[in-house]
Amino acid sequence: MAIDFYWRLPTHGDHATIRRGSLDRGDWSPLAPGNQTPGLTADGEEDGYRYIDHLAEIAKAAEISGFIGGLIPSFPTTDDPWVISPLLARETKSFRFMIAFQPGFLNPVQAARLSASLQRATGGRTVFNIITGGGGPSQLWWGDSFSHDDRYGRTSEFLDVFKGVWKDPGFTYDGRFYSVRNGGLAPLLGAEDIPEIWFSGSSDAALQSAARHADYYLSWLEPYDQLQDKFARVKERTAQLGGEQKCAIRVDLVARPTEEEAWRDIRIGFENVTDETRARWRGQPTDSVGAARQAALRPTEAKRWDELVVGKNLWGGFNLLRGGPALGIVGSYEQCAEQLDELIRRGADAFILAGTPHLEEAYRVGEEVLPLLGRAATAGLLQAAE
Amino acid sequence: MTIKAYWRLDPTAEPGRAEPSAWAETLARNVRPISINRFDHYAQIARAAALTGFDGLFIQHRSDGDDSQIIAAAVARSAPKLGLVPEFPASVGSAVYAAKQAVTFQRAVHDRLGWAIAPDGDADARAAIADPVLEADLRARTEEFLHVARGVHGSQPFDFQGRFFEVKGGGFEQPLAGAAFPRVFLRGEQEDSLALSARHADVHLFALQPVEALRAKIEDLDRLALAAGRNVEFGISATLAARETAEDLQHTPAADIAGTYDLVAAQLAELAAAGIGHFVLSASPSLEETYRVGQFVLPRLRAHQPTLRAAA
Repeated sequence: MAIDFYWRLPTHGDHATIRRGSLDRGDWSPLAPGNQTPGLTADGEEDGYRYIDHLAEIAKAAEISGFIGGLIPSFPTTDDPWVISPLLARETKSFRFMIAFQPGFLNPVQAARLSASLQRATGGRTVFNIITGGGGPSQLWWGDSFSHDDRYGRTSEFLDVFKGVWKDPGFTYDGRFYSVRNGGLAPLLGAEDIPEIWFSGSSDAALQSAARHADYYLSWLEPYDQLQDKFARVKERTAQLGGEQKCAIRVDLVARPTEEEAWRDIRIGFENVTDETRARWRGQPTDSVGAARQAALRPTEAKRWDELVVGKNLWGGFNLLRGGPALGIVGSYEQCAEQLDELIRRGADAFILAGTPHLEEAYRVGEEVLPLLGRAATAGLLQAAE
Repeated sequence: MTIKAYWRLDPTAEPGRAEPSAWAETLARNVRPISINRFDHYAQIARAAALTGFDGLFIQHRSDGDDSQIIAAAVARSAPKLGLVPEFPASVGSAVYAAKQAVTFQRAVHDRLGWAIAPDGDADARAAIADPVLEADLRARTEEFLHVARGVHGSQPFDFQGRFFEVKGGGFEQPLAGAAFPRVFLRGEQEDSLALSARHADVHLFALQPVEALRAKIEDLDRLALAAGRNVEFGISATLAARETAEDLQHTPAADIAGTYDLVAAQLAELAAAGIGHFVLSASPSLEETYRVGQFVLPRLRAHQPTLRAAA
């Protein structure tokens, strides 16, 4: 069985190294010598490049080194995936654009038309990561006042309408949140494939909604037993509803030629974390259940980097080094491959991987780690046969 | 004022063109991948406009065609200096989200984006696109849409509780806060359209009409804009049939302005003298006519400009 490996486009700038917190790629920090996209000319002027130019390079690095595409995250402080994807459509060949978006932000029929147009612009390379949870103050920042559970109801109806108008030229629907009379996409648009849908969300409301609509259920990396349980529950719930659900994991890697080198980068990165960074990540308000599960690791309270080693090749302090989930994989190329193999054994059908800096690490992970997958299992079988 | 010329792209025009589904069975060996389609053609039209002296590409909203904002982004990096004005109705979704998307677009393309707000469809058309807003409220929705989009773009924290949109603590932080708001193009001939433009448009587009009627509307809108403390510029959209000789014209389809290159340019110059600064032009077939109008009409129109300046 082939596993889909996605990479990630960092839509909030990037760091030139995991060892330091400075965002020196993009314009999220004040422009200084050594920054790129934008950079400075010899005369000290802006060089005219924009962060999209760097995102284009990351997308190309990912497709060249064997990733099927990349997740494009969306937060109040990031650039927007619905715009990035068509901007990069014509200069990539196989890279699939996984757009993170919250259904409440777009009219569902318009979303279907946008998506079908993007499918046509990319040769069918659109994938969705539907986000519904999140919440807290940022939901109102976005102009969305729906409650957590209502948002899941709305997401379900949104996808009913989205898929309905796509496949049925005379689509009519009467829901709590949306009504459509005699809708439908134009034939040229409706002939496109509906994008694969990835769902996130760890609450009960999320799991129910995922069972109905998602092709993939996406989780951040969690302690393996807990994750295996969750995947089993998702697959079972979907099977009860007569469907089939694949499961995917979003996780960062620090993969190096040796384990020692990998932990050394983590140690230096941890020692460079400022009090300001700790304060920023401490107690971020959210009603996302997934975020709360990660916060339980309490990395912002750690005094030493090795207090956050939570298992073999697992480190729980990634959110101190860059925005995003806390738990990630650290090790030699072989060890990283073994961890991914283990996660596949526990029910993962696909991955969204990432490493900092995203461009160079796309090559490294694509060239050094992905080719090792499945080797350990094969070696084990050979040993047993001897 | 320097004249701004835009080529108008209709995504539903020439439907069979550049589509794999329309490839004819022929003796010629076909090696085109099916990934070739109209998006390649749109990019050529954008580049044609850029290469022949147009300032921008105006992309029409067509509910039965490719989406204007996807087209605008897909061609943006192929035509690095061209302005891009996708047209869409205020029913697309959240005004906050529209503003956020515009910010990314502007950051990526050095502030080349405009927004043309399309009129809403009739009751049946709106029911077909899950738009719950009633006829009587459409203008108010458009107004709120623009108010909220500008609000989150221009200030932080921005709070608003309206009939159609609600936001608390909105607004962008750096670096997203640095992008220019897209230039807003509105249209309409009636008094209430002019009033809306006075409050929200950067450019008001009129349909082609006799110069005297146009002058009267321009005066009205000027007065309303002045009262609102704003400056609104004026444009027209028109279809053209321009040919080298009068005889060539006998074989052209009907158009708003038809004539020789000299004559068409003179008519456009007359509109410019009446206060029109933005020309949204179109003709069919789109790609070939972009070159024709760009190479033969625009230089003649611009040659009138010294006279226009002297007259002003």
